[in-house]
Amino acid sequence: MHIMEGFLPHPWWEIWFAVSLPVVAYGVHRMTAVTRDRRETLPLLAVAGAFVFVLSSLKLPSVNGSCSHPTGTGMGAILFGPWITSVLASIVLVYQALFLAHGGLTTLGANVFSMGIAGPLVGYLIFKAASRSGANLYLSVFLAATLADWATYVVTALQLALAFPAATGGVLTSFKAFALVFAVTQVPLAIVEGVVTALMFKYILQLRSDVLVRLKVVSESTVRKLKEAAA
Amino acid sequence: MHDILDDYAHSNGLAWVNPRAKLLLGLGSILLCVSAPSPLVPALVALTMSLTIVGPARIPLRFYSRLLLIPLSFALLSSVVVIFLHGSGEALLSFEVLGRQATVNSEGANLGLLLMSRTFGGMCALFFVALTTPMVEIFSILKSLHLPQVLIELSMLIYRYIFVLLEEAMMIHTAQELRLGSSSLRGSLHSFSMLTSVLFLRAWERGEKLMVAMDSRCYDGRLDILEREAPRSPRVTVVVVIYLAALGAVALLCKDLTLI
Repeated sequence: MHIMEGFLPHPWWEIWFAVSLPVVAYGVHRMTAVTRDRRETLPLLAVAGAFVFVLSSLKLPSVNGSCSHPTGTGMGAILFGPWITSVLASIVLVYQALFLAHGGLTTLGANVFSMGIAGPLVGYLIFKAASRSGANLYLSVFLAATLADWATYVVTALQLALAFPAATGGVLTSFKAFALVFAVTQVPLAIVEGVVTALMFKYILQLRSDVLVRLKVVSESTVRKLKEAAA
Repeated sequence: MHDILDDYAHSNGLAWVNPRAKLLLGLGSILLCVSAPSPLVPALVALTMSLTIVGPARIPLRFYSRLLLIPLSFALLSSVVVIFLHGSGEALLSFEVLGRQATVNSEGANLGLLLMSRTFGGMCALFFVALTTPMVEIFSILKSLHLPQVLIELSMLIYRYIFVLLEEAMMIHTAQELRLGSSSLRGSLHSFSMLTSVLFLRAWERGEKLMVAMDSRCYDGRLDILEREAPRSPRVTVVVVIYLAALGAVALLCKDLTLI
């Protein structure tokens, strides 16, 4: 869930801008370098950004009746790495605020941190660690997407707790309460997002495995092995 | 499916007004809301922005009132947490939940109300910008602010492809619904993943085609947009500045106002 416009008071909204800005700036720097070397990446990154936006405007199949949207943070991080994902996520978050009324402009810094930086970073690290340990590709994708989605909500709860510490017990008590409302309820949805992302990778691998190879998500040999296993 | 606010940005009654003035009004109001010490200023912002949106901008009231419900669930949930946890002062309400004492005191209640009003006022100002200012004009403002070229270019291409992909997603979704694609949880998970993967691959193929199209039109690393000469409107700007100054004055004068 995005933190809505106006909810974070001074000085917290400025602090999260200050935290997120250097990361996104570094992402822009990386992106400039990549697009200078290989010009064809810009259109591909653009359609990927638009894809993340559309993905986040679709309703996930719900388990408990509540409706929620996939964040796409884990998927972005697996495909493009955390730096470029942070730039894509920032643009997508501005559009979500302007076109869908999700999130806001003063809370943009905080939302970019939770959805564009913390979530993708967790997803990326988990995906790398799981792949290196020799886990099945789909299992790695599932773990990365689930935990990236969930990490996003834990960070959101933390951001709210820091801004509004409880009178007795301070930040920790407040964090427990916000986590109860936002992070615990999110567990089933995070799992659904993990399942959906893993299935998505399965279909992409069957139809256009060259895309994944080119993005260096999987190697040729893994693709061959997975295809043989499926056949 | 969602209502895309952008549809109205091109056809509303204020589409011709200088975009810089509209942006100044929207962003200025948002900043005043977020730093308002009492719920009065956010309430005033919500009122004036809503009147401008359904009045001169001629956005249908029914559409606008549906939009206002979007921030409601987040604002309510988070404010309730704040109300119960925060502050000291006299207890207004105290009861037992699951063996724990839950107390609402005046400071917490005031903070909760202030936060709700800030969110509400801020969202109204955000809606104002979203509903009255076409994205293309925001791009040209961003360009004149000298943001990194690659960032603006990427934003413009993403903007273009959002609508292409949304349509595609909607068509796939309809096709799946017609074939009872979401009749069970298993089925709907399957359909949803199929939708996203097909959407990703189609997006990717469009990206590859776009590359060819841009190359054949001599793309050299920058996209130029035709900028419409924005109408100079000192009158509008003056009105906006006066409005913001008045709101600022109200905020300063009534900073100790609380509801409870």
